[in-house]
Amino acid sequence: MKLTRPFVYLIAAGTVILILITSRDSRAVPSYTRQTGLPCATCHFAPPELTPFGRKFKLDGYVFRTKPEVTEDQDKHKKVHDSTLHLLEAYPLSVVFDTSFTSTSSPQPATQNGNFQFPQDISLFLAGAWADHVGSFAQVTYTAQGNHFSWDNTDVRYANTHDLFGKPFAYGITFNNNPTVEDLWNSTPAWGFPFTASNVSPTPTAKAIINGALAQDVAGFGGYTMWNEHLYIGGTIYRSQHLGGAQPNPGTGFGFNIRGLAPYWRVAWQTVTKNNSLEFGTYGMHVKSSPTAVTGLTNGYTDWAFDFQYDRTIPQFKNDVLSFRGTYIRENSSLGATFAAGGASLIGHHLNTVQGNVEYHYGSKLSGTVGLFKITGTPDPLLYVQAPVSGSANGDPRSNGYILNVSWWPQQNIDLAVQYTGYLQFNGAQTNYDGAGRKAGGNNAVFLLARFVF
Amino acid sequence: MSRIFVHLVAPAGISACLIALALPAGVHAQSDVAKVYKTNCVLCHAADGSGNSPSGKALGAKDLASSEVQKKSDAEIAEMIAKGKGKMPAFGAKLKLDDIKQLVAYIRAIPKK
Repeated sequence: MKLTRPFVYLIAAGTVILILITSRDSRAVPSYTRQTGLPCATCHFAPPELTPFGRKFKLDGYVFRTKPEVTEDQDKHKKVHDSTLHLLEAYPLSVVFDTSFTSTSSPQPATQNGNFQFPQDISLFLAGAWADHVGSFAQVTYTAQGNHFSWDNTDVRYANTHDLFGKPFAYGITFNNNPTVEDLWNSTPAWGFPFTASNVSPTPTAKAIINGALAQDVAGFGGYTMWNEHLYIGGTIYRSQHLGGAQPNPGTGFGFNIRGLAPYWRVAWQTVTKNNSLEFGTYGMHVKSSPTAVTGLTNGYTDWAFDFQYDRTIPQFKNDVLSFRGTYIRENSSLGATFAAGGASLIGHHLNTVQGNVEYHYGSKLSGTVGLFKITGTPDPLLYVQAPVSGSANGDPRSNGYILNVSWWPQQNIDLAVQYTGYLQFNGAQTNYDGAGRKAGGNNAVFLLARFVF
Repeated sequence: MSRIFVHLVAPAGISACLIALALPAGVHAQSDVAKVYKTNCVLCHAADGSGNSPSGKALGAKDLASSEVQKKSDAEIAEMIAKGKGKMPAFGAKLKLDDIKQLVAYIRAIPKK
């Protein structure tokens, strides 16, 4: 039987509804909720978007808890030198199960369009308090495409608070594996919009290095402070740590091998009132890297970025929340190593990335988002090579488009999302961008997702 | 410079942080009840009990020095801490009865502005 496109859409919609109906009695809660005794909506407008409480929970090291612990405190009457113990009784484990359907406007050559993934991925989390001041967000993910588990976003932190100049002073250290994963806002790459995405539809080739190029490919150690609940300053230094690669790292087969240390910085200012939460700040990174080696010539990348986030609670509309978020990333690169290897036609390049989105949260049940993105940069036919679907016929990195997303949370731990990504320009052109006759609009994609968090 | 950083400064920084972590929690003189308040209540109610922390503002946390809170009996405040109320979670499973009693006394002692 031949599957027509409407039939495939019908099956997809039916599957989503069936999953919804059969899961209505599920009372699943993830580990932070188990630990704090608080509903998901206390920390999230809609996961992973953090409320002011959620940001403070993360700032404080994921350790706030109200549930029973195994404890032993120091006996102040006896001068013993024993250590204390504060251990969660419930092990902080959680699961996220994603199943999805993706269809692009034009099929990718020699592949079947209308792509079901059951699952798309399954993530296991060790997320919660490890000790009094130490906690984690640690994730391993199975992907259907890779057919294996791999280490995913991880942030293990120590945090504490004191007073400084008579004002609250929170500080901490973080070990993490993705620049910006340690950040508190949803305007920076690791936790930015889109919060879910297809992993099979084509995406633009050009990407700033801080915009996910090093995710799970580095090991970082950093520190952060928040003074007077307004001024946030953080910094992390990164080294390459290739999952599945040999140790010590020979660099072979990996595009980015950090030479020395790659510093990441972050400064943000926030103010929160009863119904308003505003943040604006800057972040960036400097990387010196050798492609496929740890010696020899290097490429240098410096990313400067600015971001803002504004969440407005609307009491007249039963405390619905309207969010505005945006970021601009400027990348200046000096690709000496790539140029010498014949992979670039000039050394100096730049890349500009602009992303912005507006989201309306209808309680904690429904949210609708409109996002825009634009990438521009230095054209280079050797760096952005011609290839079907993923390439550029004119060597131009320009892409722009929009993302529309509607997420329905029938329960706080179930997300049913419909997402449409539209491209006005893709890898440098509207039509025949890849030299093989493909239009930018051919990559427009419908993405349906059912996510279960428990 | 970069090599010095990799081989000296970074390991030294990490070691210093690990040593800081290993220090006893009680290095800073603080009464037990103050510690209990800081661990469990400051996130929303702020260090001065005003509820003026970002989380407290967003969640509408009560000013603990307000007459609305202070006019309640000790038993009522203790019950709120133990069982929670509204957006405030229940701490009865974590805190001992004695801790809750001390917290009530601590809240009573918060100066009115």
